[in-house]
Amino acid sequence: MNEPEKVLVRARGLRKEYGSGEGLVRAVDEVDLEIARGETLSIMGPSGCGKSTLLHLLGGLDRPSAGELWLAGRRVDHLSERALAQLRRHEVGFVFQAYHLMDELTAQENVELPALLAGRSPGEARRRARQLLDQVGVGERADHLPSALSGGQRQRVAIARALANEPQLVLADEPTGNLDSTATLEVLRLFEALHAAGLTLVIVTHDERIAATADRLISMRDGAFVDETRLVGGTRKNLADLAGLRAE
Amino acid sequence: MGRLLLVCRLAVKDLRHRPAQAMLLLLAIAAGAATLTLGFSLRGTTDNPYARTRAATNGPDVVATVFPGNSNASGPAAAVKPGGSNAPGTAGASGAEAAPLAPLEHASGVVAHSGPFPVTWTLLQKGHTTGSAEVEGRSSESSSVDHPKLTQGTWVRPGGVVVEAAFASALGIHVGDRLSLGGTSFEVTGTAVTAAIPAYPGVCGRPIGCFLVGNISSYNPGLVWATQADAEQIAGTSGPEAYLLNLKLNDRAEAHAFANRYDNNASLSAPTLYAWQDIRDGDAQVIAKVQKVLFTGSWLLALLAVTSVAVLVGGRMTEQTRRVGLLKAVGGTPRFVAVVLLFEHVLVGLFAAGVGLLIGQLVAPLVDRPGAGLLGAPSAPSLTGTTVASVVAVALAVAIVATFVPAIRAARQSTVAALEDSARQPRRSAAVISLSGHLPAPLLLGARLVVRRPRRLLLSTFSVAVTTSGLVAVLIIHATSATWSLGPQVIQATTIISVMLIVLAAINAVFIAWTTALEARHPAALARALGATPEQITTGLSVAFLPPALLGALLGIPGGIGIYDGTRSGGGTTTLPSALWLVAMVLMTLLVIAVLTAIPTRIGARRPVAEVLQAEAA
Amino acid sequence: MLAKEPSQGSQLRARLDRALGPLGEAMNAGHIYVQLARLEKAGLITREGTAGSSDRPDRKVYILTPAGHGRVSEWLSEVSWPKPDLAEFHLKLIAAAAAGLADPISIVDMQRRELLRRLRDAQRTAMAEPDRSDAGLLLEGIALRLQADLRWLEACERIWTDRRRK
Repeated sequence: MNEPEKVLVRARGLRKEYGSGEGLVRAVDEVDLEIARGETLSIMGPSGCGKSTLLHLLGGLDRPSAGELWLAGRRVDHLSERALAQLRRHEVGFVFQAYHLMDELTAQENVELPALLAGRSPGEARRRARQLLDQVGVGERADHLPSALSGGQRQRVAIARALANEPQLVLADEPTGNLDSTATLEVLRLFEALHAAGLTLVIVTHDERIAATADRLISMRDGAFVDETRLVGGTRKNLADLAGLRAE
Repeated sequence: MGRLLLVCRLAVKDLRHRPAQAMLLLLAIAAGAATLTLGFSLRGTTDNPYARTRAATNGPDVVATVFPGNSNASGPAAAVKPGGSNAPGTAGASGAEAAPLAPLEHASGVVAHSGPFPVTWTLLQKGHTTGSAEVEGRSSESSSVDHPKLTQGTWVRPGGVVVEAAFASALGIHVGDRLSLGGTSFEVTGTAVTAAIPAYPGVCGRPIGCFLVGNISSYNPGLVWATQADAEQIAGTSGPEAYLLNLKLNDRAEAHAFANRYDNNASLSAPTLYAWQDIRDGDAQVIAKVQKVLFTGSWLLALLAVTSVAVLVGGRMTEQTRRVGLLKAVGGTPRFVAVVLLFEHVLVGLFAAGVGLLIGQLVAPLVDRPGAGLLGAPSAPSLTGTTVASVVAVALAVAIVATFVPAIRAARQSTVAALEDSARQPRRSAAVISLSGHLPAPLLLGARLVVRRPRRLLLSTFSVAVTTSGLVAVLIIHATSATWSLGPQVIQATTIISVMLIVLAAINAVFIAWTTALEARHPAALARALGATPEQITTGLSVAFLPPALLGALLGIPGGIGIYDGTRSGGGTTTLPSALWLVAMVLMTLLVIAVLTAIPTRIGARRPVAEVLQAEAA
Repeated sequence: MLAKEPSQGSQLRARLDRALGPLGEAMNAGHIYVQLARLEKAGLITREGTAGSSDRPDRKVYILTPAGHGRVSEWLSEVSWPKPDLAEFHLKLIAAAAAGLADPISIVDMQRRELLRRLRDAQRTAMAEPDRSDAGLLLEGIALRLQADLRWLEACERIWTDRRRK
């Protein structure tokens, strides 16, 4: 395999169930999905529809009850925890909804951690962490503990951490859940930049604004896909209309 | 009253909710309590057997000894005829050597006597077993004062010796065996007990000690009776090293006064006297040693129990603060939670005290048999009020001390802080974090995870240090008394204590690893989400426990020396166990800790990451 | 803008462009001058001749009249807000369902797609503008209103789906 696969993620019949019998809950119900390299995909849906679960499955953080999953041409749904961990080290970056930063590490140390785990030297890890923190706009607060950061800043540190090992695929769960519109815009810019750099992004969100940045938008309900939209632009004229500027 | 009832109910409910933890706590405290009870129960257990032996053998009130070898020829060589009532044939030893004893036979207050009997010390050999013996020459007929009571076989005859019962059982000598004394072979015709000399291994516990000419051997001597002719033959050309005379007084209570009156410390050739109380104490000394071992051991066990409780409590307090919200509904505060926790542990402590007292009572007869050297069973140790009170007090103290600090901290905490879970904030150690950056991934994770709760690390070191202190003290006992063996009971006691220390320490190690692993679930899952493999996490955690264990083991060495020095009586040198033993002990400790912590650290290591993270966030 | 100072047509145009940014390009040049003529007719502005007596509208200098000043003050203190126009779409759905002509949910989905595309455009455009610029602010407003409309459409979809289920 010399050429990188065009399809980065492929899922067939992906299913995740909890409980049994009467109490059976299908969080993800027979999902088929293909994500092209470099694509930005956003998944929308009401809470409890299973979008977070789907994201966890795609990132190897949870095991499917049934179905197949390929990442970069490699079958991953049956990998051992060890192999999955190695996958996460190099291929996949995850941004959690609850951030899950380590409370006792500073922002910088949090972002360094994936690089250290991947075997980079401390100096290199620190440089990369600094660079990423500047990129997300929290460079001056690199030495603060998470408890000293606002929700938006923590969110951005979490994003920086997901990028630490230059993954091919970034999975983000509600990345702007706690941000005000200014911070949201900054994150939007960041995602656009990543998109432009060729990163494949899957964003789970219920914020339409974030969803609209994607190339493709999938709506989920009750564990299944119900709609898929390819977003292609309109014209500026429409915007002028919306602004209230009428050309008469 | 209502609140008290509520506290009770909550405490019991909480304990029932975690039966395993409660059981382990109970075990830990009960172990210390049982040992303490044992220690207490040993007091005075030899009183009865001594009295019985004394009655059965008509034991002496005063024993007088001379060591003629150190004197110039003294006194008229009178044929010493024993006065008073004595059976024929108890003719005293030959010659002038025993002369200084003669006046005592007729001293005021003396109603009967036997001896003087020649005494010699020599090497004993039976098959491959070597020992040393104090040989006393007797006539083949029984004496009036101190006629040893045969437990097996028949009395001395030419070529036949009788071995003291405790000595015989310790060395495995039976009637009919052949042994050599001072090179000459004899047959063992019987075993007997006496009240004139403390039983093995306390023979040299008499006030005059033992007289080992020219360091015959390094073995603790036991008593052997032979005919006078045989004894003199064993003594060889230099003659017996001592002569002893048994005296009976008309008033037992006067024994000490009598002994002091006639005791002459001027030279060994003048008589040295001691009273029957000294013999009784000599017998009791052995038990006293056992008691000391048990008491010291129970202190160490109590410390380990405190550690166990502290670890558990520490882990649980951080969870308990979350329950504050619920308890607030019943008017509870963090303080209330602390009270409930304290109460729980007091309950466990009380129960454990009861269990310990029971076990101690049951085991006591097995441990404090005074041995074969005295007649009859010891009086059943009754639980005196003091014993019960002390044991309960210690058990409660353990429970309270361990719970105290976290309980106080929780009580002082404001409700707001409790709800915000600020107690759960792990500690940050910038030094460890920056240093661990240079370590390989498993160690990086292990170090950072383990250092989140420094108090637990301290408890781990403490637990290992206490255990190794005890073990080192035991090793010292064995090293120091190789020259002067302590007898089976002490060995038994030290073995019991060692085993219990190791078991409790192992439980502690597992506890600590388990609570750490549980608490580290979330950061460990996070680390796995960032690319750490489960193996790296478990390895890291296990290895991270080794440095504190090493520190504890090393601290245990001076600790053990301190314990030994602090508890031994009298002077004498402390022989350190060889470096090889110490190194072996340290290495074994590390190995055991590594093995014990390997299993709990695997907890949740393979669960899917998302499950763990979401469970924590819930 | 004339309230500040008399300006030429071309200057006015330039200022409008800056204020509206990319949206301003949608307005064709002629439109401005038509508006200016109307204002002149209404007596709110007057024209002043320049040295170059050509009739090119962009060279003409416009001045605000006192009536014009009054009108500007009024405008600034008005609090009316552009009205949302949801009733039409709402009736569209009801009509489709009642007459059985079309599936209301497909109508909603189609509209959603269109709005999403516009939202995407608005955001893309906004990001090209410098931070905190006037144009950026305007685009932000557009995006947020689109978001609000999208939320309403999601609510429509939810309700209509539930109705269908029953």
